[in-house]
Amino acid sequence: MRRFGELPHLKLSNMARLCEIGVPGDVLARAREGDERARAQIYGALAPATFGLIRRLVGVRALAEDLFQDTMIIVYGRLGTFRGEAPLGAWVRQIAVSRCLMHLRSPWHRARLALEQVGGLDGMRLTLPPAPESLDVERALASLSPTARAVVWLYEVEGYSHEEIARTFGRSTSFSKSQLARAHRRLREWFDLQPDREPCTPI
Amino acid sequence: MSRHDEDPRLAPLLRRLRELPAELRPPFDWIEFRERAREPQRAIAARIDWRHAAAAATLASVIIAVAVWSRVIDPGAAPRLAESPAGAQWHQPDVAAGWLASLPDEPAIVRVDTRFAVADLEDSIAWMDELITIERTGAAQPARVKALQRERSRLVDSLVRVRYAETLAAELP
Repeated sequence: MRRFGELPHLKLSNMARLCEIGVPGDVLARAREGDERARAQIYGALAPATFGLIRRLVGVRALAEDLFQDTMIIVYGRLGTFRGEAPLGAWVRQIAVSRCLMHLRSPWHRARLALEQVGGLDGMRLTLPPAPESLDVERALASLSPTARAVVWLYEVEGYSHEEIARTFGRSTSFSKSQLARAHRRLREWFDLQPDREPCTPI
Repeated sequence: MSRHDEDPRLAPLLRRLRELPAELRPPFDWIEFRERAREPQRAIAARIDWRHAAAAATLASVIIAVAVWSRVIDPGAAPRLAESPAGAQWHQPDVAAGWLASLPDEPAIVRVDTRFAVADLEDSIAWMDELITIERTGAAQPARVKALQRERSRLVDSLVRVRYAETLAAELP
């Protein structure tokens, strides 16, 4: 678990996953009592990883910002219900993932996708962060459907099991497995179709 | 972290995926978040007002449409409703029962065309696109461009909702 307060500034290395971030009990207790400084400290510790996770799951930046705001509002609203059995980041991750999947499952999102597929919403496409060294893998991720992207990210990066993904999506484990298999195939195809891309592994 | 039999071609990609930065700069700092967290209450109130206004406008349109339609189809229908018993007449059971019996058995379903709402939204989105383009070609202020993009996103959401409502309405018997 990363020690609290170690990472107020963003760096491209030594970054902790959200589920690994914990906060000291006294800070948590003060935050629950409404102490502004403690709440700000928790925000500083959790916000970058929370936004990182949401951004990867939903792709579209404007949407990620809205979901991030919703997530953080819920986190502070429910801080009193956090039992402290796992790091605070793991609890926040659960809320963030749940918010993102709720959005992916919503009829508005599906209707938006339908419109995008007929070419009506090109302006809403993914805006990629300017990180050249990770651009190819970001693009490959963006080539997946939102559901497949979420499954790949949760399984490959966040370490969710198929059972956990199935439970989170409210679907069966075969849904998770088939989504992952299809996403892998899609990623392979995507890379096969990129003749000028830089290799994943430096030669 | 290899959790399955990875395709050797896929393994480097998955490794790169796991190496992507776990943290990204959040869109706003604590102070702005605190302000935004207060906003939803005001926004919800505003949204409710807007919804009420929209509902009232729709209801008014429906009433006008029904009135016009009933006059076109059956000129006698409106006067019959106007002749409903009033005041002391309500105390006469036959009069009240007769008036109730004259009412239609089933409520009428009135379909209101959404084309004006869609056209308005599409015009507004096009206008937003123009503003964004103008901002980007000039000395664009990132905050303003961001605000315009957010507004555009809201308009697109509204358009999606209208389209979705149309789809649902089309499936009604």
